[in-house]
Amino acid sequence: MTVRIDPTRCRGHAICALFFADGVELDQWGFGRVLDDSADSSRLLRKARRAAAACPNGAFIVSEHSTPAARPVHTG
Amino acid sequence: MTTSPDLLAPRPTHAADLRTGPGASAFPVRIDRLGGTGALLLSGPSATDGSEGLVGHATRWGPLPAHDGARVRTLLRDSRLDGRGGAGFPVARKVETALLAPGRPVLIVNASESEPASRKDRTLCRHRPHLVLDGASLLARALGADEVVLHSHRIGGSPSGPLSLAIVERVRAGLEDPAWHLSEGPDRYVAGESSAVASFVDGGEARPRFTTRPLAVDGPSGRPTVVSNAETVVQLAVAARIGAVAWNSLGAPSSPGPRLVTLAGAVPRPGLVLELTGPGTIGDLLTAEGLGAPPAAVLVGGFAGTWVRGDEAWQTPFSRESLQCVGASPGCGLLGVLPHDACPLVETARIVRYLAGESAGQCGSCVAGLPRLAGAMDALAAGTARRRGLARMDALADTVLGSGACAHPDGVVLLVRSALRVFRDDVVRHLAGGPCRAADHPPVLPVPDARPTPTTGGDAWR
Repeated sequence: MTVRIDPTRCRGHAICALFFADGVELDQWGFGRVLDDSADSSRLLRKARRAAAACPNGAFIVSEHSTPAARPVHTG
Repeated sequence: MTTSPDLLAPRPTHAADLRTGPGASAFPVRIDRLGGTGALLLSGPSATDGSEGLVGHATRWGPLPAHDGARVRTLLRDSRLDGRGGAGFPVARKVETALLAPGRPVLIVNASESEPASRKDRTLCRHRPHLVLDGASLLARALGADEVVLHSHRIGGSPSGPLSLAIVERVRAGLEDPAWHLSEGPDRYVAGESSAVASFVDGGEARPRFTTRPLAVDGPSGRPTVVSNAETVVQLAVAARIGAVAWNSLGAPSSPGPRLVTLAGAVPRPGLVLELTGPGTIGDLLTAEGLGAPPAAVLVGGFAGTWVRGDEAWQTPFSRESLQCVGASPGCGLLGVLPHDACPLVETARIVRYLAGESAGQCGSCVAGLPRLAGAMDALAAGTARRRGLARMDALADTVLGSGACAHPDGVVLLVRSALRVFRDDVVRHLAGGPCRAADHPPVLPVPDARPTPTTGGDAWR
């Protein structure tokens, strides 16, 4: 299981930080960043799923696969 | 072609790129420009001769080798060809990833060259279009793709023109090529980023996408998508002709193959593209263009690159490993030369202001952070910043770093950090005594005027 915040959708509502407090850090504008992207205990996973359901922009993503995050790179 | 017998010698096992001392490379350093006899990729007609036609191309290089997909993949592995768009990712791994993923792969050759001062990709497309198409054709075979999208920015003199003429020649000659599709997207800095290009080609906006899996696994179309820089495929076309080992040995011991570099700033001919074979230093490249002594500093790798002190850059081989030792990376191959009488902070501030406007406007901390970073850099350049401001700038950089869906904010942070590190003395002077005398120096690097980020919706990103 992997937890991510899609920064293109995050609008800084910070609701994820209420539900997933241990795993999310908010910056000075309230945009969230996931501290540890593996939600491996069932307790953490429950919290992550709640955060995902509460995010008004669908930016908080809990995915079943655990592929490392891809950072798009310049090619041209 | 200017290969000589020593190019076929085995590669030295040492990782040292420097030419003196133990482990010195046996390969000669050659630096030349379009049409020069010391060039390989850029050999052939000179810059004034325009686009090289199919007949001339085939006469010089022979026909495109009839390698099947497996043989091209072996060539990619053995040559260790690295992507030349900036990230330097091994092409063989990208291809193998795409082949393991479900679906027929999509191949996009990226000739966007979004870096405003870089000229290598458009030089190749304009003057050697058949090398670009040869390489694209080979990469398509490696992927089992029967069509290729050739993408560039919608600008005057876009690579699409010469490429489309070359395609007509190839179709008439009945070459066994994939189906070609020309694509032109918006002329914005981040629109050339690979996920932005893939999104545009799929009918979406040319803005970077947040992805949880690499494009080569799962592109916007749902199919594995390989985006490869134009120079990268040209390198493949050349490697197919001379062989993986010979091609590989034309680089520095730690860095495979020849490299293309664009010079900008305080050089006799800004915008000139040079080809480097062998373990040449930045000093060698600048000497070849008539510089007699190290400049104040060199911006290495692009606008979102790294400043390196001139004397340090002068002795550093232009290879991935050696540049890493001075905190830099080849990036798009740009070398921006800063003279001793210009203000490095003013130059950096202009770049940061431009890059801030080039955000795609999608990620909060890029939208909020980059203009503030630009403001802080402006204040520092103008001599109105205080020490406290400098500390805030550092915290801001921390916030912005790694916050985006793409690496755009990271690039700006790396540029700013390298400026604060390399130009520490200038920073101290600016904090103490207002702007320096060099602040009135005419602009050195060709930084376009900053533009505001277009709003979402509309057709600015289409």
